[in-house]
Amino acid sequence: MPQVKIIAKNFMDMVASLTAIKLDKLYNNVFICEAILRSLPPLAKKYVLQFLFTDEPVPAKDIKEWVLADGVSKHGVAIDRLIQLRIFTETVVTVDRKKETCYSLNPTFQKNLQKHIISGGVLPREPMNSNNAIKLPSLQELETYALQQWECFLLQLINSGQGEKLTGISSSMMKVFQRGLLSQRDRDGPRLTESGFQFLLMDTNAQLWYIIREYISNAEERDVDPADLISFLLELSFHVTGEAYNLNTLTDVQRTTLKDLADLGLVKLQQGRKDSWFIPTKLATNLSVSLADSSVRKEGYVMMETNFRMYAYSTSKLQCEILRLFARIEYQLPNLIACAITKESLYNAFDNGITSEQIITFLQQNSHPRCADRVPSIPENVTDQIRLWESDLKRIEMTQAHFYDEFPSKDVFDGACNFTRQLGGLLWEDSKRMRLVVKSEVHNQMREYLHTHSK
Amino acid sequence: MASVASKLYSDDVSLLVLLLDTNPFFWDTTSTTFSQFLSHVLAFLNAVLGLNQLNQVVVIATGYSSCDYIYDSSLTSNVGSESRGSGMPALFGSLLEKLEDFIGRDEELAKEDEHVDKIAPSLLSGSLSMALCYIQRVFRSGHLHPQPRILCLQGSPDGPEQYVAVMNSIFSAQRLMVPIDSCYIGTQNSAFLQQASYITGGVHHAPKQLDGLFQFLTTIFATDLHTRRFVQLPKPVGVDFRASCFCHKKTIDMGYVCSVCLSIFCEHHKKCSTCGSVFGQSKLDGANASSSVNDRKRKAPDS
Repeated sequence: MPQVKIIAKNFMDMVASLTAIKLDKLYNNVFICEAILRSLPPLAKKYVLQFLFTDEPVPAKDIKEWVLADGVSKHGVAIDRLIQLRIFTETVVTVDRKKETCYSLNPTFQKNLQKHIISGGVLPREPMNSNNAIKLPSLQELETYALQQWECFLLQLINSGQGEKLTGISSSMMKVFQRGLLSQRDRDGPRLTESGFQFLLMDTNAQLWYIIREYISNAEERDVDPADLISFLLELSFHVTGEAYNLNTLTDVQRTTLKDLADLGLVKLQQGRKDSWFIPTKLATNLSVSLADSSVRKEGYVMMETNFRMYAYSTSKLQCEILRLFARIEYQLPNLIACAITKESLYNAFDNGITSEQIITFLQQNSHPRCADRVPSIPENVTDQIRLWESDLKRIEMTQAHFYDEFPSKDVFDGACNFTRQLGGLLWEDSKRMRLVVKSEVHNQMREYLHTHSK
Repeated sequence: MASVASKLYSDDVSLLVLLLDTNPFFWDTTSTTFSQFLSHVLAFLNAVLGLNQLNQVVVIATGYSSCDYIYDSSLTSNVGSESRGSGMPALFGSLLEKLEDFIGRDEELAKEDEHVDKIAPSLLSGSLSMALCYIQRVFRSGHLHPQPRILCLQGSPDGPEQYVAVMNSIFSAQRLMVPIDSCYIGTQNSAFLQQASYITGGVHHAPKQLDGLFQFLTTIFATDLHTRRFVQLPKPVGVDFRASCFCHKKTIDMGYVCSVCLSIFCEHHKKCSTCGSVFGQSKLDGANASSSVNDRKRKAPDS
């Protein structure tokens, strides 16, 4: 899915926009180096690897020779990225009285990666011994927990008007997340905007990244250093899913962050008799994966019938809410939501700024595996009708115009018609009764024309 | 809908199957010790795993008389805590353990055979087929999988008696569109590996010295298939297309080829031992009668 990449890339832009000192500080952490390496474009990864044990700066000319003619643009992108992230430093060296640009690897980054590659992956912190932890949830339980927590959060995000408080996220924080996704109209309460709907269409990882990005950009308002937050989040992704880690090993800032992350379902907090610990879930450990690629493609659940009835095999309240955005929910069984797409429900959706294409792609992406095998996965008559209903609404187009009549003679009328036609401003003419309508833009020119010609 | 492309991860995620030559007869003769070599390889594996969280590495040991899976990064996601703290690379604790086991077992098997004084070949055909089986399983399971490739790290000379099996593996790799990269670290050159890389579109390289093996491995063989399309990689200068004959398993460049099944023989037979076709006699009878040019040879077809 393309959206994931855009968002993940934006995240790396955030890292790149940190000041030089902060970036260098970040590279003191092995895990950041590793996560950054993984986020680079493939060619840049290759360069870093090749430079890993080179101490001398390498001339830019030489690097360029490594790529074929097709790859020159990719080469440019890779080098730019490396310099932006301060992994490569540019130096100008004089060789034979000629100035040459050379690149060398950031020494801290280099040292840390060397260590990582020679000694293998180490864990950021030791998990607690399994015998004194009381009872760890199984991986299955943990995943259910994470997804449940995440859905709860999303539900609150899109439904904040109903005042249900499901998660511990403060309402001010929620406002930050909702910025851009919901439009605040005073009378009708918050409504989902176009980008909000797109947000719901994305897969979990992409959504997560969107939220995390908002969370980080908001960090300064909470007196938290964004660099610390970024480093902690990236570090978190290198923990082992399902292992317990003691909270004592964290700083105060990290502990408060962790509480918010628990609300998002990234970690599960547990408390024992003496100390408490956190267990990272799959959402957390996938954080650095989605920097490069969306790995989890969810299985679809929607079956669309030719008679506009839609069956969604889902127990989730959130999915029900999403469907309600453009369909009429008829009844709900324990594992099934039955709904219908009607003209009214679609008009409602169009009114909210959701387009027919968005609805159709949503249906296609989420169609039940059995339907997904068929071509087309959504019956053609349904997709056509959705498009038709949308174009129905767009049948009338409004243009500011001026109306002219009572022309003194047929010649003047014809002349005026030709004049406006040449300007591209003629909308309508009735030559019998000598009346015409022109766009407002040409009104002034038309007046001058009539002044000079009616005499 | 479910085309091959949609089953792949979009970018540069790779599955690397590494065939590691553990033949003791070969490592006996080199100046670089096996442990030095192994440290380069382990660093390389770490680098590959580090490039992408979804990257996967499988190591198969190619011994003298057996081969076995010794490491699979998808199985060891939970790092065993025993090996930590001993200064050993944590991830590869189990690899080294299994490798030691394997070499022990391989030695047991090798004792039964009598061997000659030249370096005995290792069982490349076996490990190649194991690698292909593994990749085939990956293809059939799940709907998303990384792009597989095979890397042979071979030092022992070719075993001409494995010719048919190796060629069959190469052709099935070609059918699966799995490139076989090869890094030959021995002193001679390996016709098998050259052909394997040539046919499957992989890269063949034979570094002159082993001191900087890590640099060779990362520069050439860590490059994922996506990136290969726009980087300079070593091109084959000349490929050794010589075949082995089916009758005595000798490497030959001229021989007899059965016109029905394309089996290769180093000397003339009355009947093809593979497909049973009876060869025409008339001309050869004449030749035999007229002179002693018994060993007149026909050129074997290239590839």
